[in-house]
Amino acid sequence: MCARVYSNFRPPLSIKCNPRPEPEVDPQVRRKKPARPRQQPAAAVLKDGGRAPVSGSGVQPAARRRGAMKLYSLSVLYKGDPKAVLLKAAYDVSSFSFFQRSSVQEFMTFTSQLIVERSTKGSRASVKEQEYLCHVYVRSDSLAGVVIADSEYPSRVAFTLLEKVLDEFSKQVDRIDWPVGSPDTIQYTALDGHLSRYQNPREADPMSKVQAELDETKIILHNTMESLLERGEKLDDLVSKSEVLGTQSKAFYKTRQALDRRVTSELQLLQMKRCPEDVEPGRLAVFILMFSRGTEG
Amino acid sequence: MAETSEEVAVLVQRVVKDITNAFRRNPHIDEIGLIPCPEARYNRSPIVLVENKLGVESWCVKFLLPYVHNKLLLYRTRKQWLNKDELIDVTCTLLLLNPDFTTAWNVRKELILSGTLSPIKDLHLGKLALTKFPKSPETWIHRRWVLQQLSQETSLPSSVAKGNLGTVPAERTQRILQEEMEVCGEAAGRYPSNYNAWSHRIWVLQNVAKLDLKILLDELSSTKHWASMHVSDHSGFHYRQFLLKSLISQTAMDTSALQQNSLKDEPKDEEAAASTEEPRIDLTQLLEEEVEFCTDLIDSYPGHETLWCHRRHIFYLQHHLSGRCPLNLTHLSPADCSGGTLNDLHLIPASPQLSQAMEVDGLNDSSKQGYSQETKRLKRTPAPDSLGLEMEHRFIDQVLSTCRNVEQARYANAYRKWLVTLSQ
Repeated sequence: MCARVYSNFRPPLSIKCNPRPEPEVDPQVRRKKPARPRQQPAAAVLKDGGRAPVSGSGVQPAARRRGAMKLYSLSVLYKGDPKAVLLKAAYDVSSFSFFQRSSVQEFMTFTSQLIVERSTKGSRASVKEQEYLCHVYVRSDSLAGVVIADSEYPSRVAFTLLEKVLDEFSKQVDRIDWPVGSPDTIQYTALDGHLSRYQNPREADPMSKVQAELDETKIILHNTMESLLERGEKLDDLVSKSEVLGTQSKAFYKTRQALDRRVTSELQLLQMKRCPEDVEPGRLAVFILMFSRGTEG
Repeated sequence: MAETSEEVAVLVQRVVKDITNAFRRNPHIDEIGLIPCPEARYNRSPIVLVENKLGVESWCVKFLLPYVHNKLLLYRTRKQWLNKDELIDVTCTLLLLNPDFTTAWNVRKELILSGTLSPIKDLHLGKLALTKFPKSPETWIHRRWVLQQLSQETSLPSSVAKGNLGTVPAERTQRILQEEMEVCGEAAGRYPSNYNAWSHRIWVLQNVAKLDLKILLDELSSTKHWASMHVSDHSGFHYRQFLLKSLISQTAMDTSALQQNSLKDEPKDEEAAASTEEPRIDLTQLLEEEVEFCTDLIDSYPGHETLWCHRRHIFYLQHHLSGRCPLNLTHLSPADCSGGTLNDLHLIPASPQLSQAMEVDGLNDSSKQGYSQETKRLKRTPAPDSLGLEMEHRFIDQVLSTCRNVEQARYANAYRKWLVTLSQ
């Protein structure tokens, strides 16, 4: 047996169609099964197994949707010129699939920095990216805060949190340390506590029921990350140039982009081919593609 | 570098063995995942086991899946024989990669029926598959089949009368129930409005727990916090509606059964009835608490349609309860269909299709007609109903006067229109 079994394999490999499989259900076994709806067609399987990622704007790697009211990250940054400096951050990636967590965390740092760099001083904004909402508050003294939350999380509470955190931070950490700080050097430890307490917005901020003084019309809403970028800037380039993202995260991002294109072209190819075996091989190809896309966490 | 089919075969066999060994080394694996890894490195196995999490590196999937899939189909078409252990390993690998492959589940069914495979293993495998594919319909379907098999194995004489509330489910059933609730809860958390998970949960309550009152009450209280943190999860709130409906119908049935018993043989059974009678569940209070819960959430989180829809359901249930009219059990009883309990919601006007705004003007006539009988019955009911209506109108006024959220106002107005049709 060849010792170098695993390393012999290098991508890419064209997907081969399989010989005709028999009908899915053995008639004998079918009688024993409880009544259930008809087998879903291949298209539904594709839809069910994973979401078609929004092409081009897939910054966050997790294609899974979450309907919970959750906060994922809370970070304090300094809006330097031209780069934003991360001063302190807290993360909660426990709801993500285990093997995705480190990539997710990196992407959140990347996103937070990017948003602060592209926001003006003295502004508040909410940037929608897939099923996440990134709320950012950049003060006029260049201190900035970003909270990445689920789209369900009440944004008013998020902004209250940001205001509170930045206020506290500015009192505890000297202004001189801001432009050159890093998470290791900055002495501010309350961020994790805030993040975990604000996971339950009603407990953390009971007054949010009462209409806040914060005028909601002053918050800019961006529907995608792309709208933050300048003309001609591509998210792909920013990702590949980033120092924050590790090689695995970048590879994952690239794979997803490539697979997006591949899925579309493979499906087009399958539709064009007239396979004598009807839809079965196409179905298998769909299974493979669906799984390889790394969907559902 | 071109790969020969021989090399692929060797690779796959090694990977399948690695997976089997991983399970043997660590029986407490509780999650599977895909590791994005475009290239094989250092001649290392693509199977990674870290802290009870099993990971598969993505580069190997495109070789693994077609090969294993093909192997199983060759077995099925009787072109190649696989012994029992090989079958178990192959189907295990297949299902971890793609749990919607019915044939693999069917092979496992056959293995269970022939006694070679323990049903508990299948439940465990399904649970793992659901950590990555929380909606997978085939996994849920197979799970129900396995549960049926298990219940047949341990079936107690099921001639217990419906009115006998005193039976405590066997310990094993209790454990199974606990496990199922946990699996459903986790799957519901991994995918929003996970209809498959919640339907399964309902099925389990109907078929494993047999709608035991205590269990229904426990479920009602244990899902409360979850529902408050997932305010747009319609399936979660529908589950609460199901629990309340079941509580209503079960207590009604028990009361009538007890009445029937006491009518037949007098002194003996009255004693028996008195001893098995559980403390009366205050349905009115339960429903009121639910309304309060709903109000609280509507105020805290403006603009969530699910909450308004939930309110309609609860109000409807309150109507039926306070109306003292004999409950039309076939309409409200959730025990009808084995899985699709959302069917009985068609009676309630303004169907819970969140894609349309719940504008009552958009109702088609058939549902209005279907409802007219109910409204006529409601008209005959005493004053408490108009009091309930009044309170609701006041609530709507309060919401409209204080909210600044456009959608909240829209939902409040739609709710008002719905209430108006109720009293017509």
